[in-house]
Amino acid sequence: MAIKFERVGYEYKDIDGKGYLALADVTLNINKTGEFITLIGETGSGKSTLAQHMNALLTPTEGRVHIFGMKISRETRKSKNLKLNPIRQKVGLVFQFPEYQLFEETVENDIAFGPKNFGVSEAEAKERAKKMLNIVGLDDSYLSRSPFNLSGGEKKRVSIAGILAMEPDILVLDEPTSGLDPLGRNALLEVFYDIHQKLDKTVVIITHDMNTVYEYAKRVLVMREGNLVYDGNPTQLFSRKNVKSWNLDVPDILKLRRALEEKFSITLEGETRSKAQLMAKIKEALR
Amino acid sequence: MSLIEIENVSFTYHGNKKALDDVSLSIEKGEWVSILGHNGSGKSTLSKLIVGLLKPQQGVIRVGGITLSADTVRDIRKKVGIVFQNPDNQFVGVTVRDDIAFGLENLQIEREEMIERIEHYAKKVDMYSYLNKEPHNLSGGQKQRVAIAGILAMKTDVIIFDEATAMLDPEGRERVMEYMRALNREGTTIITITHDMKEAVLSDRIVVLKDGRVLKSDKSENILKDKATLEKSNLELLLPLEIMHYLNENGIENPSLKEFLWQLSLNG
Amino acid sequence: MKNIVIGRYVPGNSFLYRMDPRTKLIALIALMVAAFLIQSFTHMLVSLALVTLLLVAGRISVKRVYLGLRPLMFLLFFTFIFQVMFNQEGDEIFTLPLHYSLLSIVAAAAVVVFWFMTKKHVRFKLFYFLFTVAAVFAVLHYIDFGVLFGEGTFRVFEEGLSTAFFIMVRLIIIIMLSTILTITTKPTDLNLGLERVLKPLRIVRINTEEIAMIISIALRYIPTLLDEANKIMLAQASRGVDFQEGKLKDKVVQIISLLVPMFIISFQRSDDLANAMEARSFVPGQPRTRLHVLTWKRLDTFALTLSLVALVAVIVVRVV
Repeated sequence: MAIKFERVGYEYKDIDGKGYLALADVTLNINKTGEFITLIGETGSGKSTLAQHMNALLTPTEGRVHIFGMKISRETRKSKNLKLNPIRQKVGLVFQFPEYQLFEETVENDIAFGPKNFGVSEAEAKERAKKMLNIVGLDDSYLSRSPFNLSGGEKKRVSIAGILAMEPDILVLDEPTSGLDPLGRNALLEVFYDIHQKLDKTVVIITHDMNTVYEYAKRVLVMREGNLVYDGNPTQLFSRKNVKSWNLDVPDILKLRRALEEKFSITLEGETRSKAQLMAKIKEALR
Repeated sequence: MSLIEIENVSFTYHGNKKALDDVSLSIEKGEWVSILGHNGSGKSTLSKLIVGLLKPQQGVIRVGGITLSADTVRDIRKKVGIVFQNPDNQFVGVTVRDDIAFGLENLQIEREEMIERIEHYAKKVDMYSYLNKEPHNLSGGQKQRVAIAGILAMKTDVIIFDEATAMLDPEGRERVMEYMRALNREGTTIITITHDMKEAVLSDRIVVLKDGRVLKSDKSENILKDKATLEKSNLELLLPLEIMHYLNENGIENPSLKEFLWQLSLNG
Repeated sequence: MKNIVIGRYVPGNSFLYRMDPRTKLIALIALMVAAFLIQSFTHMLVSLALVTLLLVAGRISVKRVYLGLRPLMFLLFFTFIFQVMFNQEGDEIFTLPLHYSLLSIVAAAAVVVFWFMTKKHVRFKLFYFLFTVAAVFAVLHYIDFGVLFGEGTFRVFEEGLSTAFFIMVRLIIIIMLSTILTITTKPTDLNLGLERVLKPLRIVRINTEEIAMIISIALRYIPTLLDEANKIMLAQASRGVDFQEGKLKDKVVQIISLLVPMFIISFQRSDDLANAMEARSFVPGQPRTRLHVLTWKRLDTFALTLSLVALVAVIVVRVV
């Protein structure tokens, strides 16, 4: 087990010492390989707080998190010998806005920054920069460009390459596709899926887009008011009766299928998780 | 005469390729127009030109018969309001009340009138109970609603939503779209700048931009079905319409199913 | 960073809240000047007592003001100790012979090390620190055996002690008064008050409305920027920036990795904000009407008179 949450609670304190519970009693396991997880929930439900526990940016105020064998809790954080950097290398976290991390003069240097912090040699770091840039779908001509003169989508890709270059086992992405146009979004999702498949890494994506959840995720985590209320596969999630009360949208594909079945009495057999599947099944049903 | 007339407008940011290239379009009073395009198609440049935040290097923009220039820009801003993408970067006031007041103070509205309008429009976007709240206590969607109230209070004829829903969660987006619908029903002219087809489907007319040029401008129902045009500008068909295309391509004739899919896409 | 107490408004209800911000601003300045002019030991203590009384009468929690003082405590004590140790004017009032021997120096070092190791676990850090300082002196004074390197004397002079006292009490009074102002005055009111108080500066062509607008926007964006800085720090920490460790060369890069995103985001923000303001018909320097109005009450006349009388009294005492 790569990441293990044991009854984790996290309380923010405001200025008057009033507590605000961002996470409550979360127990959860994430494997080192083979997972493609989406983490969903309303704004303020604790998604980002949960993600920031995965690479020990935050320390639980209750319970503990084990990350690659290292125990993170209130007690262990007090000891000075606790080195968090090895964890941050193993669990790469990409923030929502690439502007939070881009700072170097060239894309190459910026991507190489992370690995160098973990003791990778300059030459090796640059080697990785080039490789990861290609993986996120940008060609070598970008290496010498300034990260600030790129489009929003390109900045996102560079920021993801910057984390990938650290060669983490697990990649966590906070709303990586928000604000992108449909083509940009789909292309980026394919990149994540490739990283998951070809590099055999566990990928965790925080998102509001239920289509992403339905089409890509093997596993869904639903947060609601600091509680983990669902941990399972997407098909079952959307067939639950109480899914409405969690304020989650229904994915477009499922909405359409349900409309066809209920109002147009076309019955489709089996799963329709992708557009292609749906089309094929409709064609089949009409024959 | 149309309410907004844009004639042969071009604009280039310093040292880059043309952001807008010979764009002409007109928008009628009470109409709801979507400007649709991929990231970097020039759609936000267009909205900044209409409110005079940028100056066209070529061409003419007229709003309500007034030609936009340095002398008239203030009169035009009294007619056209704009809600921007980032909810955090347009909240000027220290509280919700102050933020709605900001535009009114600039227009030198009397205090009594100001108070009345603030309360009225805060109620309209369901933010009345938040009037004394500070922005860091509000969600992105709530901040956008305050921005809308701020524009409404200025009683402009036109409101431009410049990707105003792009940074919101589904619930926040849904609510902002509801206000758009309500406002348009009451006669406000609306321009939405977006790449979200679910937002575009609400409008009367869609203008598709690609690389700074108008690719097509037509009634929404025609553009929605126009796969070739949408694909050319990196956009997606709504799912039911994509299915409809698939059926057509595969020679499956089923008029009632097609009608059903069509209705489905119009009603979200 | 969320523990910054200075400059925060805390909702409440007392005469201090009902006062006009102009009154509070002018009274603050008058009383601060007065605090600087007082030269008598008793007057200083009386002033401190009066300010504390104001706090209590205004129903402001003393704890909150103490929280505001806390970040500055070390600064206060540092100035105090600095003055006591190095100001050698006036009569000598306290002498403590010190013995520097192998044993006493090692013992003193041991005390410091012990303090350093245990300070995390002690609640009253400041008292613990003072206790440690006293212990070091005690060790150096009483352990007078072993191989002696030399002898020394710790002397305290009258002038040093009194200067230290005055500086400290003045600073405390000033901080308390300004904390009262910010705790009881909404940022918008404070800003409007400031604008009105500064209005006479228009004669020398300083645009006070613009200054007020700048302050107001700064107030609005400080929480946002702090939040942003925190997120940038976390994002860079995720890339292996370890702010606790690193050589000097690494430290420079670490700081750059925070500052560059901070600047870029702030520029983007201000650009967006300027657009949003302009689009809402804001034109710098043009007249605007105001939502907020200030109302002068009898309470204000009374409070203002009282603080001005206090200032005049202090001046009279000093001159006579």
